Amino acid sequence: MTHGTRLSVTCVFVSLGAMLGQNTAYQPDPGWRAPAAAAFKPNPLAKRPEAAAGGKKLFLRNCTECHGNDGSGIMKKHAADLQLPVVQEQSDGALFWKITNGNPDRGMPSFSKLPELQRWQLVLFLRSLH
Amino acid sequence: MKLIGRILLFALFIARADSPAQESPYFVTYGHHLEEPGNLEIATSTTMGVPRSGQKFYLAPYMELEYGVTGRWTSELYLEGQSTAGDSAVFTGWRLENRFRPLKREHRINPVLYLEYEGINEASRIQKEIVGNAPGFGEPNSELSQTHAHELETKLILSSDVHNWNLAENFIVEKNLSAEEGFEFGYALGVNRPLGTLASAANCRFCRENFSAGLELYGGLGSTNGFGFHNTAHYVAPVIAWQISDNASLRFSSAIGLTHESNPVLLRFGYSYEIRGFGAKLTRLFGSNP
Repeated sequence: MTHGTRLSVTCVFVSLGAMLGQNTAYQPDPGWRAPAAAAFKPNPLAKRPEAAAGGKKLFLRNCTECHGNDGSGIMKKHAADLQLPVVQEQSDGALFWKITNGNPDRGMPSFSKLPELQRWQLVLFLRSLH
Repeated sequence: MKLIGRILLFALFIARADSPAQESPYFVTYGHHLEEPGNLEIATSTTMGVPRSGQKFYLAPYMELEYGVTGRWTSELYLEGQSTAGDSAVFTGWRLENRFRPLKREHRINPVLYLEYEGINEASRIQKEIVGNAPGFGEPNSELSQTHAHELETKLILSSDVHNWNLAENFIVEKNLSAEEGFEFGYALGVNRPLGTLASAANCRFCRENFSAGLELYGGLGSTNGFGFHNTAHYVAPVIAWQISDNASLRFSSAIGLTHESNPVLLRFGYSYEIRGFGAKLTRLFGSNP
């Protein structure tokens, strides 16, 4: 595939994503980083993959308004595309910290009102999105 | 006609909206969890006072419209009324409250600043906060509703999430701008936790995860004219909340009066319904892009 063809294919995908309202152009906030201690926390449900089903229910309740049913992020809401490597490469602890604290100045609310295990269930489900 | 059409369309629009309520079971105490930005919560609650002998039973319903202005600022409008047995039913006024979270992240203790203006009259009985000395329940509504009170209320809310427990402490200062009463003080403490901490895969109504329970303790602390517990009302109240569906919840509390100046029992009921993305939908419907 030539450079030109690759560029065209990329443009087509980006345009298609934009038409479908997906946020393929998502750029993470560089100032929104989990502290090292939080990022290294392991998921206590890692050995219970069946808990991801509950995570899906929580995701559909709490997250789809901005992130969409498939987690691809709604462009109008400037929400993260959760399928992107830039999100999926983050540790479980980092995702847990982000769900807990939110980023209120960029529109992401804190979900600390959910019990701790339910936030870990959400992390477990997020892993199935990529 | 066009406006009515738009309002009807909007009513249909919000009727199909689906979002989580995640309602705290507290009636009086505030925690640090604010309304999500752009969401509107409509709640209707009632305070029922079971009186001592010689006093009359009363019912004080109120409606709340709570809107998440930003991730760190929630604004709320209250409309309230009161009906006393063998007396009359009166509109007792309105309140506009604002809560601000000064800190961006979750901390061990999360402070929230609360500021409320109240345009109420002396017949108000909703008892969303207990401050100063205990109110008298003797005079008829016709007299009480003629005495207007413009009050400014501030609270320092401190709240912590420890594992699955929420602990909240509220310190209240209120000033009646219409009378020489000095500054009145009060407090509210609350603790609650969900009954189930793991979400089940099924969409169930009666799962433990849909219930949370706790305890509130609140009361007055006198005023600058006489600080302390003398002649003040205090209550201890078990509370329970049930998330009936993704967007609706019910709350119930049965407060027990701890002093002679308190009502022996205060029963509270609440129903709330949350509309997600209300602000954006309203903006879209009335013309401009959000």
